[in-house]
Amino acid sequence: MTEAAITTPQRLTGRRVRRRPPVLIALCFAFMALVLLMAIAGPMLAPHDPAQQDVLGSLAPPGAEHWLGTDGLGRDVFSRMLAGAQSAILGPLVIALASMVCGNLLGLLAGYRGGIIDSLVMRWVDLMVAIPSLLIIIVVAGALGGGYWLAVGLLIVLTIPTDARVMRAATLEQTPRPYVEAAKTLGVTDGRIMVRHIWPNIAAAAVANSVIIFAGSLVSLAGLSFLGLGAEPGTPDWGQMLSENQPLLFTNPVAIIAPGIAIALTATSVNLVGDWIYEKMSSRGAGR
Amino acid sequence: MSARAILLMIGKRLVALVVLIAILSFLVFSLVHIAPGTVVDAYLGGKPATPELVQALTERYHLDEPFLTQYWLWLRDALVFDFGESTLTTLPVTDEIGARLGPSAFLAVYAYLLTLILGVIPGVVAALRQRKTLDRGLVAGAVVALSTPPFVMGILLLYLFAVLVPVFPAAGLGEGFLDQLWHLTLPALALALCVAAFLLRHSRASMIKVLDQDYIMFARARGLSRRHVLVRYAFRNALIPVVTVSGSLLAFFFAGAVFVETAFSLGGIGELLVQATETSDMPMIQALAMLIAVLIVLANLLADLAYVAIDPRIRFEGRSA
Amino acid sequence: MSPHTERVPASGPPVLDIEDMRIERAGTGDPIVTALDLRLAAGESVGIVGESGSGKSMSAKALIGLLPEGVVAKGSARFDGENLLDLSERQWRTIRGRQIGMIMQDPFTMLNPVMRCGRILEESLLAQRRLSRAERRAEAIRRLAEVGITDETVVDRYPFQLSGGMRQRVAIAAALARDPQVLIADEPSTALDVVTQREVLALIKRIQEARGMALILITHDLRVAFATCDRIQVLYAGSLVEAGRADDVRERPLHPYSQGLLLSEPPADRRVRQLVAIPGSVPSAAEVRDRCSFESRCRWARQVCRDGEPPLAVVGDDRRSRCVRLPEIEAEMAALLSKAEEREDGPAGSRSDDALIDVVNIQKVFRSGGRTVRAVDDVSISVRAGESVGIVGESGSGKTTLARMLVGLESPTGGEIVIDGIPVRRWRDLTTNERRRLRRTVQTVFQDPYSSLNPMRSVGWALKEAIVTHDRGATGVERRVGELLESVGLSPGYARRRPASLSGGERQRVAIARALAVEPRVLICDEPVSALDMSVQAQILNLLRQIRAERGISCLFITHDLSIVRQASEYLYVMHLGKVVESGPTESVLDHPRDDYTAQLLSSVPRPEEQWLTT
Repeated sequence: MTEAAITTPQRLTGRRVRRRPPVLIALCFAFMALVLLMAIAGPMLAPHDPAQQDVLGSLAPPGAEHWLGTDGLGRDVFSRMLAGAQSAILGPLVIALASMVCGNLLGLLAGYRGGIIDSLVMRWVDLMVAIPSLLIIIVVAGALGGGYWLAVGLLIVLTIPTDARVMRAATLEQTPRPYVEAAKTLGVTDGRIMVRHIWPNIAAAAVANSVIIFAGSLVSLAGLSFLGLGAEPGTPDWGQMLSENQPLLFTNPVAIIAPGIAIALTATSVNLVGDWIYEKMSSRGAGR
Repeated sequence: MSARAILLMIGKRLVALVVLIAILSFLVFSLVHIAPGTVVDAYLGGKPATPELVQALTERYHLDEPFLTQYWLWLRDALVFDFGESTLTTLPVTDEIGARLGPSAFLAVYAYLLTLILGVIPGVVAALRQRKTLDRGLVAGAVVALSTPPFVMGILLLYLFAVLVPVFPAAGLGEGFLDQLWHLTLPALALALCVAAFLLRHSRASMIKVLDQDYIMFARARGLSRRHVLVRYAFRNALIPVVTVSGSLLAFFFAGAVFVETAFSLGGIGELLVQATETSDMPMIQALAMLIAVLIVLANLLADLAYVAIDPRIRFEGRSA
Repeated sequence: MSPHTERVPASGPPVLDIEDMRIERAGTGDPIVTALDLRLAAGESVGIVGESGSGKSMSAKALIGLLPEGVVAKGSARFDGENLLDLSERQWRTIRGRQIGMIMQDPFTMLNPVMRCGRILEESLLAQRRLSRAERRAEAIRRLAEVGITDETVVDRYPFQLSGGMRQRVAIAAALARDPQVLIADEPSTALDVVTQREVLALIKRIQEARGMALILITHDLRVAFATCDRIQVLYAGSLVEAGRADDVRERPLHPYSQGLLLSEPPADRRVRQLVAIPGSVPSAAEVRDRCSFESRCRWARQVCRDGEPPLAVVGDDRRSRCVRLPEIEAEMAALLSKAEEREDGPAGSRSDDALIDVVNIQKVFRSGGRTVRAVDDVSISVRAGESVGIVGESGSGKTTLARMLVGLESPTGGEIVIDGIPVRRWRDLTTNERRRLRRTVQTVFQDPYSSLNPMRSVGWALKEAIVTHDRGATGVERRVGELLESVGLSPGYARRRPASLSGGERQRVAIARALAVEPRVLICDEPVSALDMSVQAQILNLLRQIRAERGISCLFITHDLSIVRQASEYLYVMHLGKVVESGPTESVLDHPRDDYTAQLLSSVPRPEEQWLTT
């Protein structure tokens, strides 16, 4: 060939400039790390035994001994906050991972193959969209008597279709693209097309969606605990602290504000990080 | 598309709706069978199982009939709003629900209006100020509001506006319309903010997408004023996808209302549901579950019809946009 | 509406006078248009011709005051005593629509989908006069009649209920509703089929002359500009390189780029030995700052071309060129032009008997929402060993569906396909071995090089996959990837790059290399160049021709473009509404069409003669 294609320097390097995460995202990561540390080492770091009652020292205001004061039974609120991080993180982590694995698999299959899997997933999704999953859990958990791992299990069952729906839509968007058809006409197997061709292109949505599911189930689990359908009574849990300490709103508001803010801040950080991951990942390889 | 075709479509939707409600009713009915213990235990609700009581319950709920016959008889009663008696108060559950419907309905309508105002308007404003400070602020605020569940929001609002700056009451329902409005402002806000944040993100994205369309540029190029193009073109077209999600918003609402009513002790049906789960009051749980399910399904139907009404592409081609 | 019917002479005083217009990004200062000059007389039509990245669409937006945020225009564009580039939004409101109108490329996205056509027209009319509803409706119907729509029910229909050509007519009527003096038409016919394209251009031309309106036609297609416009301006990478009367530019281009563009267009009336392609790909304006914008791709470039941006020099009567070396190279350019005119006779002789693909009475019916569409209706074609077969047709003719059935992306509803002796009506029923053999026989090059490569995978990964899929124990894969790249004119270093960093032409080369990796015997090319810039199309056409010559493979070339099919095929099928209406040796079909539809297609190919738009 005489017409060797000329490449311009800009096209070689590409226009992407690697940017460090913005301050807000860095703060979110820092806060998530803090909550993670609390979840792992919370009980060891706690200045008091989170379960120890002290009726005489109940409703103590925040001070040197009790940083966030004590609750109606005289338990140290700060220690309970530290210990409560575990149930705030563990369940959502299990839910996010389980629904990501199952949801991605079902979504890819439903979107790429169509057929029976597709109809099944979509009917399941229709049902979930029609009735909010939290109400289903309240009713079912109410009938069965509640419990943390029951709530986690129910949330897994109910978030899989939402994840599958997102992944199905993302897959459907990729499937008619010429690069998929080119792979088909080349004779590449369906499994390889799904895993090696389509998945990398929808991974951004997959990861971001799982992060958002994590935040959502953190909030849902806390809510179920708030209603008495989640964490076992007596265990330190942010959602449960909210309902236990609600009568203290006028007497020791810190005991109820602290877990509330902890829930909101953790969910906010996770959601912001999820959005950021999505933008970051979907700009990879994109652009013409 | 002819009127007949539209009727046909509505008919199809109604059939789908009846099927969905039938499935849900079956699941709701099955609740007594998956509850721990025997079915009689579920209807006893913790009362001592005297032979007379067991006999009465067996007759009342046809427990000696086969499973499917039980369901059929239960459904027949349910269709005339007979779900049995509360195991707690022994009053008919529909009476109890009827007595509690008022505050819940007031809260729902109030919160829905707040959601529309707090969701759509800032969403449109953010889209028009894209990448400016106001836009970034609204978007960040939306993430915070979206991540703060209604019960947390409720307690934070209570602390701020009933304890720190006591301008709103901390509990109670109030008498008369204005007093009720005053009493329900904090609960309605707590319920609305989270859903409004979702709506804000949705309407912002929708508006940005529409503003980028060729037909906006072409309308401006024909000399139509910026305001005309914004109102008649951008706003209207951006609202179409917003209407489609408004149905699923209601689902959020019913779930959120349970938490908000509990947090504010409003005595609505949401709080009643929580009490019923605490006391394992099965007839009450069943009745409430059916009521909420039917309301949500109807709301979705209304949203779908509204969508058909405002988007001619659906009406004429039967395809989704 | 203007009462003028006679043609206004082109030499009148300018209504619009653009001098040294520059458009750039406000933040970075990156140029988009570095220098544009244009004098537009009343009633005159000027064509602005340029490829992607030339800045032609941005120029149109600047002239109607609708530049996107963060883009600014400087310099002067005098209209009615005022500089358009300095106007406030309030001042623009009296100009947009009333003085200057614009229509855009895509009739499918230009009209508000949820508004009835009548409403779109009515709101576009001037609001001064108080008209009743019935009067407004009557006016809308009258306006539609002006653009050739006599069906009154169109006012009550939504845009999506109309064909592309009808939508473009409605859009033209809306753009003209306030009777502007100047109409800017930005690629008004590009999204349309060839037959409709001619109708729409003829309509614009007729209205322009009837109203005595000035027209700026923005297009990437030199032939369209020659056929429609009085004068031509050629824009390249943001800079105006040549301007002159349409006939002058066509007969004797005076800038190497305009000449290159002219030569890369395959001629419609004859087959040429080889197309004269411009090497490389179109740069952005920012990449060619402070030098001749065409220098990097010009065969005559010298140091002087890199010493600053050359001035736009007057080189003849109403003729300007930005080439500094023009006096030295003019003779050479003229020689090249006449050499390229040489005709090559198509291959004589009959077709071989060795059919690689045999399609017999094939059918494809799509059903959706109660409607049945016969996409392919009883079509029989064959591709013999070593020959290139063309299929030409408009969108909706079924040509792409046919190609998709050949490679198993769709299953036929009826009929039979035999490839290399294997009946392949149902791909599901084939054995693994048969499928493997089919894949090694037929490979495809898709239309859109931007999406036919996986954006997340490097070029090397894609080629490696293509090699390994059919040769599991392949050795020396890296070396073969390098060889494949070299065979399509790319250096082996491209293996490491991602598709996003390649130009359209480079991507299409990679896609061709991928198809060649399995050493197929037939290459199906579905519109392989229609998404590429004109100056790159010729490169790819030459590459395909060279590959065929070197490897002796057959080719099934699917396109809507008669000029391309003449260069690229020896045997031709013409498809219309799912049926083959005519077939035969390409030269004889195109020179002596027997079917009315073929004749209509041929007459729709843009040509400079006066009668093209009037017949």
